[in-house]
Amino acid sequence: MSELSRQRSADPAAVEMLNLAEKEQLETIWDRLEKQQPQCGYGQLGTCCRLCTMGPCRIDPMGEEPTHGVCGASADTIVARNLARMIAVGSSSHSDHGRSAALLLKAVASGENTDYRITDVEKLQAVATRLEVTTENRSYPEIASDIADIALSCFGKQDDTPMPFTEKYLLPKRYQLFKDIEEQLFKTTGKKMGILPRGIDREIVDILHRTHFGTDADPLSLMVQGIRSSIADGWGGSLIATELQDILYGTPTVNTAKANLGVLDAEWVNIIVHGHEPSLSEKVVEMALSEEMQQAARKLGAKGINIVGLCCTGNEMLMRQGVDMAGNVLHSELAIMTGAVEAMVVDVQCIYPSLANLSNCFHTKFITTSEQATIPEALHIQFEDEHADEIARRIVNTAIAAYPERDQGKVYIPNITSSAIAGFSVEEILKTLGGSVAPLIDVIAKGTIKGVVGIVGCNNVKVKQDLYHQELTKKLIERDILVIGTGCWAIGAAKAGLMNLDAQSLAGEGLKAVCQQLGIPPVLNMGSCVDCSRMLVLAGALAAHLDVDICDLPLVGSAPEWMTEKAVAIGTYFVSSGIPTHLWPAPPILGSPEVTKILTEDIKGLLGGYFFIEEGPQAAAQRMEEIILEKRAALGI
Amino acid sequence: MKKIFVDYEKCVACKACETACAMENHPSHSLFGLLGDKKTQVNVRVLAVEHEAFPVSCRHCEPAWCMDACPSGAISRDSETGAVILNPDMCKACAMCAMVCPFDAISFKETHRARYGRDVAYKCDLCNDRVKNNELPACVAACHSGALSFREHDQLRRDQAVKNLRVYLLGEEKLPKNFELYRELRRKEFAQRSGEK
Repeated sequence: MSELSRQRSADPAAVEMLNLAEKEQLETIWDRLEKQQPQCGYGQLGTCCRLCTMGPCRIDPMGEEPTHGVCGASADTIVARNLARMIAVGSSSHSDHGRSAALLLKAVASGENTDYRITDVEKLQAVATRLEVTTENRSYPEIASDIADIALSCFGKQDDTPMPFTEKYLLPKRYQLFKDIEEQLFKTTGKKMGILPRGIDREIVDILHRTHFGTDADPLSLMVQGIRSSIADGWGGSLIATELQDILYGTPTVNTAKANLGVLDAEWVNIIVHGHEPSLSEKVVEMALSEEMQQAARKLGAKGINIVGLCCTGNEMLMRQGVDMAGNVLHSELAIMTGAVEAMVVDVQCIYPSLANLSNCFHTKFITTSEQATIPEALHIQFEDEHADEIARRIVNTAIAAYPERDQGKVYIPNITSSAIAGFSVEEILKTLGGSVAPLIDVIAKGTIKGVVGIVGCNNVKVKQDLYHQELTKKLIERDILVIGTGCWAIGAAKAGLMNLDAQSLAGEGLKAVCQQLGIPPVLNMGSCVDCSRMLVLAGALAAHLDVDICDLPLVGSAPEWMTEKAVAIGTYFVSSGIPTHLWPAPPILGSPEVTKILTEDIKGLLGGYFFIEEGPQAAAQRMEEIILEKRAALGI
Repeated sequence: MKKIFVDYEKCVACKACETACAMENHPSHSLFGLLGDKKTQVNVRVLAVEHEAFPVSCRHCEPAWCMDACPSGAISRDSETGAVILNPDMCKACAMCAMVCPFDAISFKETHRARYGRDVAYKCDLCNDRVKNNELPACVAACHSGALSFREHDQLRRDQAVKNLRVYLLGEEKLPKNFELYRELRRKEFAQRSGEK
């Protein structure tokens, strides 16, 4: 019984819960994967086209007939269109998140919304300076209003100039490189292809348009537009989300919290916030911690309210409020199976629809809140920013009211947690370094730290949960490579104890010494997946200090357990920013030799970054070290 | 006699064969007609065997174990096509055929051909009527990747021998490079999931 559970997760708390699931015959995402076997190879190869009703068309992967879709599209065209659409969807998800932050900041600045406030005026001024917004003799709301307007213009502006956030935040060398590539592509192909994004909505709609039946069929121009959309995300939508949320809720500072299912407490009302946008979870946390609500919970016999996070909302809450973390996305079903969760409150992205029916096996209220994400069988409490306090109170009250329904006989909470240090925003990293990137560059130049690898979530049920995250991270720090990252990777690393000071002992001598001196772990949590923008900003700052381009730096990216379209957008903006990026599992592109070659080889010559696939942590770490050493040699360090 | 041959390395598990078989055997002969219809008969199943996929259906053995085992005489052979045919009207659902079938290609349920609302055995009939009309069995006609073929064995053997010799003697690719890579990654993904490193 436990053998199967051990094959499914490297996390001991998950193994305990999977044993329970098997005993109680509760279906999990792992069971559903088995039921889906074997999975269609056309989908895995990317050669299934469903874009018109003359299809669906499939291309023979053996190079025999049919070699083209009904319209004449080749495997290269079909794969490129499908991938471009994945990037568009990923960019949309992050960027819509950024849009809601911008709309909220605007409403707060104008006084329309009084439930939220401007929390971090230092960040407000820093963002204003970056965007060249005048701050002298102006009130904070006035400055915030201008920042919100600039952010919103990035979504909706219609002229062909690069959008302001990208223009102001992107490293000037890279900005120039993008312009040069646009010219070079036009010179060599005679086709107009753009890299610098004009507007977030525009680049995404452009992909939807050009992948419509009978439009763009050229794998290269489809990929270039994919790159453009990803930059609109990384140096646009995601960046707007991070920067504006820091203004609204505070820039993360170093804090310590616990991670894993053991943060749930059998004697307390347990509320889990899960999803992505902190506008909801900040308020739910605030209300849950209020004396009024704690009192209400105590009246019903609980010790109080215990609020914890899961997935990227968990990261947002961990980073800014030090809220404990129940787990990454593969823990979402397992958390409900503890029988101790009164409410799981969700908004958008990465919410398994299965959670609704599973919650109905328990007393758990599964509460959806977003108009963009409603789920059958869930309890929907419509969240609106303008009535945030009132709605958050209603959500917390709903959770408290569920407490008496709890069947204590069904409660099983694995007694497993790890202590984790989080809160490493770029600002906090600079503060740790004494205000400048110079000390970090010094230790990299000396070789004390060989380089930096940025890793991002997800969990993918096809990969043993957290195993790749843990193993790769350990093997990198062993080699004196600093590991930073976000998303469900960060939670996996936190659960594995890689984000506390004890983990220094797992690092190589050089990295260990640096971490000991600075009092930091060798593995840094930089936030939710939307906060991958923090890694770009950090990379930009390092490059600017050295007056080189990002692609010259000894940096590598990785998504070792990825599953979502957001991860495709992130991977593409990493590569576009000049960072070689590792993926596992392989993306659905192998059906096209041309697209595979563009993304793993040709793109290197243009942008400096490229994708590579490695199935094992040992080989991946080895390859990453080689890339880092190659970059160091080129820099002459 | 022609038989259905499976080149499993080419099977990409799209299950087009299952869908085509279901439509062929459904009274409506339409995809929309069979939606949600539990009486729909599917005689071929793409099974996952670790990382490999294999479409399993009746092999139409000669002699056929099932035919020998059937006490009610429900199973017979079409002398023209060699197909082993099961007559649901005579079937007593005793499951002797299923027990002796070496390929587990016989199932039981109330199909559209079953009378009196009872369960009967059902299995692939080689699309006997289609074959007599010089058409391919529905599954073979539906296969996009060339994993299924309906041929005389001798002809198939010669073609495959020549193809394999081209690999050995001339160093030609057996399968395209990217497809080999896809198969390899699929294998590794499975190995990781099942706990091997």
